[in-house]
Amino acid sequence: MESPTFGTHLQINGVEKHFGNQQVLRGIDLEVQPGEFVAIIGRSGCGKSTLLRLIAGLDEPTAGEIKANSELMKGLNPEVRIMFQDARLLPWKRVIQNVAIGMKKEDLPKAELALKQVGLIDRAKEWPHVLSGGQKQRVALARALASKPRLLLLDEPLGALDALTRIEMQRLIERLWKEQGFTALLITHDVEEAVAMADRVVLIEDGKIAMDTPIKFPRPRQRGNAAFAALVEKILRRVMGEEENTPAVYARQST
Amino acid sequence: MKKSLFSDQVKKQLIPWLLPILILIIWQLLSSKGILSTKILPVPSDVVMAGVELIRSGELFQHLLISFKRAIIGFLIGGSIGLFLGLINGLFPIADRIFDTTIQMVRNIPHLAMIPLVILWFGIGEEAKVFLVAAGVLFPIYVNTLHGIRSVDQGLIEMGRVYGLRSWLLFWQVVLPGALPSILVGVRYALGIMWLTLIVAETISADSGIGYMAMNAREFMQTDVVLLSILLYALFGKIADSMAKWLERKCLNWNPNYQNL
Repeated sequence: MESPTFGTHLQINGVEKHFGNQQVLRGIDLEVQPGEFVAIIGRSGCGKSTLLRLIAGLDEPTAGEIKANSELMKGLNPEVRIMFQDARLLPWKRVIQNVAIGMKKEDLPKAELALKQVGLIDRAKEWPHVLSGGQKQRVALARALASKPRLLLLDEPLGALDALTRIEMQRLIERLWKEQGFTALLITHDVEEAVAMADRVVLIEDGKIAMDTPIKFPRPRQRGNAAFAALVEKILRRVMGEEENTPAVYARQST
Repeated sequence: MKKSLFSDQVKKQLIPWLLPILILIIWQLLSSKGILSTKILPVPSDVVMAGVELIRSGELFQHLLISFKRAIIGFLIGGSIGLFLGLINGLFPIADRIFDTTIQMVRNIPHLAMIPLVILWFGIGEEAKVFLVAAGVLFPIYVNTLHGIRSVDQGLIEMGRVYGLRSWLLFWQVVLPGALPSILVGVRYALGIMWLTLIVAETISADSGIGYMAMNAREFMQTDVVLLSILLYALFGKIADSMAKWLERKCLNWNPNYQNL
């Protein structure tokens, strides 16, 4: 286990992002403690992916500042890795070479270890196209973790997976997060996923933070639990913009 | 069971050759019976004899070698220029703005239309043929390289940047492999143009090479030699295409679309 301060301390102050006349982010303030797991939820188009791109350094904020460990971020940060919604494996590289991307030759054992951690070391020599969707995302996770990032950004990485594979991946990510102590920022539209995995659930609405709820359930979390289901429903209602007392038409059945 | 499987495979291999062999047999019969004039088409056996004769005198080999040399040198020069222009125009928008319009204008001139000018410039020497071949293969390689670079998945490039790949590494590990299928399509197309150009160039103005051999034979009504030359071009076309296919299989073995060719 890494020291508790291994993960990035992230501070976002008054960040705005405009694309032409369109204002996507309207002043975001968010602080994420080292090693914290924060889930960002919101309807599609609310700006959550834009925020992630700013944190990764793929785009620059129009106003405001983003600090990693009290240092102002400039450009791409080598401590940050992203896991994308689609696995984005290079089809012309074998699985192990995909995991080792951007690493030096002598660091190959690190890539092998990462592949072992996601349980795919026996597929190391395969081409990516023979893997299933879930396996591809596991390779993408291994690739993200191989270089020991201090901040892992997860951009709806499990959205395209089937329900069982998704729960399996959630547990795998949670386990590796606990073992390695990186700071994790998960973007998802699945409230249940957010509550199951995160220390805190943040809701972005119209480019602003509209809700910030700590999740205090002990880990590993029991999804069948009544308190868990109630919290999921409460947050879901808030996302849908409904009053507390109206029946939750959209509430999903808990699994 | 194993034996029948083997013979099945042999049958499968033979089927494509049945039709050409049948045509040859009918042709031989028609010619030898005098139904088909040898002034129009020589007897297949005469073509073989002419081939044997030319091999024995060493003439065939000499012409072959010179044609090959022209084809390869022209292809390498034109191909390199096309690849280079395609790469820089694909990678740097500023280069694209400067060069692309001009290249597109030149591209639309049929390169064979320049033969009179080329003869004025170079006479009927080697440069003329090499120049024409180079001009012919340049554009298909340029266009396909440019298209290949532009159609590389932006998501993969973004991923590469996040995972620490900068300029040269990003080009080598992401952009070039992504563009390669398209570049190889250009190569294959250019190989066809290469032979076409060479045939025309050698037929119109040359004192050696297979095209010259064919034209020379026409003067003396040696239809068997003319036909032999044509068959040789067909053979080389097929060899060039097989080489391109082999290259695709070798370079694109990661791509499921190319694995079972």
